[in-house]
Amino acid sequence: MIKFTEDVKQQLYKLAEDKNIYLEGNILKIIDSSEDVDLQKYIKSAREKDDTMREKRLEITKKVQTQNDELLEWKSKNEKINEELKNALNKAEKSEYQAVKSKEDAEKAKEAAVNDLDLLQKRTQNQLIESIVKVSLWVISGVGIITTVMFAVTLFRGIENKIVESMWSNMFGILLTNSFSIIGTIMGVKYASSAEKPNKKIKCDCNCHE
Amino acid sequence: MIDSILLVDDENLFHLVFEDACSLLDIALSLKTFNSADEAEIYFKKIVDTKSKKPDCIFVDLNIIGSTFDGIELIRRINFVHGDGVVIGIISSSNDDMEQTKAMKAGAQFWIIKSDQIEPRLEEFKKDFDGYANRILPFKVYK
Repeated sequence: MIKFTEDVKQQLYKLAEDKNIYLEGNILKIIDSSEDVDLQKYIKSAREKDDTMREKRLEITKKVQTQNDELLEWKSKNEKINEELKNALNKAEKSEYQAVKSKEDAEKAKEAAVNDLDLLQKRTQNQLIESIVKVSLWVISGVGIITTVMFAVTLFRGIENKIVESMWSNMFGILLTNSFSIIGTIMGVKYASSAEKPNKKIKCDCNCHE
Repeated sequence: MIDSILLVDDENLFHLVFEDACSLLDIALSLKTFNSADEAEIYFKKIVDTKSKKPDCIFVDLNIIGSTFDGIELIRRINFVHGDGVVIGIISSSNDDMEQTKAMKAGAQFWIIKSDQIEPRLEEFKKDFDGYANRILPFKVYK
């Protein structure tokens, strides 16, 4: 415990009275005020003042501490949400990339399938055309040979046969016409099945329709 | 009233809370504070080396951010490396049973749970202090 001289005590009382300045803190707890009523009053006033100030400060500090804790918690939550958002964004980007890749793969597969189908169609058409041409050639050649043989026989034997003559000339005319007709049909089929000009408008000569 | 107290806590705001609470409750005359366990250990080692007066009571936070070791390790070092003789315990917002057992094994005598209403716990601790100083009270958690 510490003891003050009378002079120090008077100075403290004067300071308190004139300027409302008191001793503060734990020093008040170690001042020996026994047998001095004035000093006891002074210490009581000083401690009341000190306690009031500390209570206020404690209240404010606690509030700040609570707010600080809340802010830290909020920051932590915010960081967590940001992290989740980043992860979600990354996942979305990955999904988008996968979708684009899948789309490209599908388009490639579609293109390959279309090409295969086109090739198959062309091969079938070619086979059909080949068969038609072969049969046509056989028929034309057969009919031509038969009528020519028959016409040659009538010529060499000197038999005048109008029917065979006209049949031969008619047959040749028909065969010639049919040959061009077959060629025309083949060309028409090829043109119609061509994928390069699917929407080409055809104008007929009579201008009746397009 | 406890003559001198040492508080080791990384949170400066809690230093103010603790100081005001101790003053209002007439718990201690002098209070020294540290922000890290490393600083506190250096201080304690210096006290032991210079044979100065040790603090009567040490309050240590459990997780001291910015320190190379935690509060329990500080208690263990003070008790087993630098010599015991002081009342020492944890002051933390945690109420983990496992940590409390670890602290008890390291030589902690009490565990005060930090909260907005810390004054009643400190008041209760003040009543028990002599029991801790005389080593007659078992480990206690102030909830």
